[in-house]
Amino acid sequence: MLTPKERLKLSLKRMPVDRAPCICPGGMMNMIVEEVMDLTGCPWPEAHSNPELLAGLSAGMYQCGGFENYGVPLCMTVEAEAMGARVGMGTKINEPKVTGYPITSVTEWRKLKPLDLAQGRVKVVLEAIKILKSKSSGVVPIIGNLVGPVSLAASLMEPTVYYKELCKNNRESHELMGFVTANLIRFGRAQLQAGADVLAIADPGGTGEILGPKMFREYAVPYLNQIIEAVQDLVSVGTIIHICGRLKSIYPELNLLRSDAVSFDSISSVKQVAEKIRNKAVMGNVSTYALERGTKERVKLLAQNCLHKGAAILAPACGIGPRTSLANIRAMVETAQEFGPFGHNL
Amino acid sequence: MGDSLKQKLLLTLSDAVVEMDEDKSVAAAQEYIENGFDAYEGIEQGLAHGMNRASRLYAEEQYFVPELLLCSDAMYAALDILKPCLKKAESAAKKRVVIGVVQGDTHDIGKNLVKIMLETAGFDIIDLGRDVAPADFVEKAKEIDAQLIALSTLMTTTMDEMKEVIDLLKKEKIRDQFKVLVGGGPVSGGYAKSIGADGYAPNAAEATKIAKELIAKGCRNRN
Repeated sequence: MLTPKERLKLSLKRMPVDRAPCICPGGMMNMIVEEVMDLTGCPWPEAHSNPELLAGLSAGMYQCGGFENYGVPLCMTVEAEAMGARVGMGTKINEPKVTGYPITSVTEWRKLKPLDLAQGRVKVVLEAIKILKSKSSGVVPIIGNLVGPVSLAASLMEPTVYYKELCKNNRESHELMGFVTANLIRFGRAQLQAGADVLAIADPGGTGEILGPKMFREYAVPYLNQIIEAVQDLVSVGTIIHICGRLKSIYPELNLLRSDAVSFDSISSVKQVAEKIRNKAVMGNVSTYALERGTKERVKLLAQNCLHKGAAILAPACGIGPRTSLANIRAMVETAQEFGPFGHNL
Repeated sequence: MGDSLKQKLLLTLSDAVVEMDEDKSVAAAQEYIENGFDAYEGIEQGLAHGMNRASRLYAEEQYFVPELLLCSDAMYAALDILKPCLKKAESAAKKRVVIGVVQGDTHDIGKNLVKIMLETAGFDIIDLGRDVAPADFVEKAKEIDAQLIALSTLMTTTMDEMKEVIDLLKKEKIRDQFKVLVGGGPVSGGYAKSIGADGYAPNAAEATKIAKELIAKGCRNRN
């Protein structure tokens, strides 16, 4: 029998497996629900700032029969905060979010703080990974998470101004992107050095729907690929990129991404993505709305459908709502367990 | 002579918006006003015309969010010149809308696009921004005697905040005073109906059309 970590590795490398893994990376792809906070005694918002609580909460999901991975952080504000953004830490059921931007234009990128690996919640995340490493005994894969470069840049200044400046101020936009990416690479490498097995990058602000194919190719693809390449020597299990929104306008660009897997939201169909993206494992995409509001039967049906259509890795389509029931998450995991072998006929 | 110059300037205003050319739209608006042409027509047949063309390009996936935002900059710059020249009656007859992203959600690009389209179409918009509490929508709508409340969210986890706003209107027994329009990534027509909203807009261009229809209906109810 494969361990969850071995299984995820094979799936990311598009090798045959006994069955598809069922994961949720963390980061923007929230993997935590209120029930797990209560069962582990590690609630939000405290867990975001304390390595023991963060590790305890993240490990709790697997221990409660949920997703087959650990993952940190459990929000998408760590990098922005470290680079100067003001962040509200949220509540037990609301994730932290950026409340104040450090710059007003891409031209001010030199004012941004370099991300300090030894301070604040960056340090909390790295320590939590070390704790998770000892909890996992090499059995459960640990996913380190990064906010994608476009989304991070759009968390450091007003997004509408940012998007306009991508058009108008090409040179300095690229300078900002280069600076943001260099900092993400350092954080990504540090997470892997601390013990993460997988690196997942989610770039909800850098979608084909927002940017269009031309700007996606100019501002999203090269910087995402820079990160993937810069961490290759440290990645033991694989890399994942999550892109939100409709994908149909950017299939050629998605084929340029160098991650092992591509994850996407429920608006895009697994079947179409599996047909169009030939060089990556397809991961997705059970509706988070169904997970939170639907019955177990409905969740199972949607999960079966994803697997039938060619998902190599079963995952929610986006971050799950913290009020999602553990029962529905277990139903999703059970569907993967019962579904049987994947990839043997490829 | 005057007529052909007016037509030419209206087309220039429209083109400047589509071409994202702020300098061009400002120059055309100034020349338009200096010649004493009607400001309302300048907005309607020049700027709004241009924004409609831009939103068509957006729907056809030739323009994306950055382009649409730049078009709106060119539009707003010219609007600032034309607006003070509107006759009183025209500005007073405006339709008032309260718009915002619901509590718990900070994704406001979609809301901003809808706001731009409504503003171009002549609506008077109070933008409450993002992460807005239900009570704030209701209070502001009462305060300015709005005809329409427009709610946006991108996240499945915050969709129910839209219902909260509608429930609060019901609780205060003022549901009939306002039309409620909802939209955003995860929202559907079916969902809008299920929470008791008056309308659902699948995109920014549709939002204007539906807002106009709803307000036309609402005015009949009020009178």
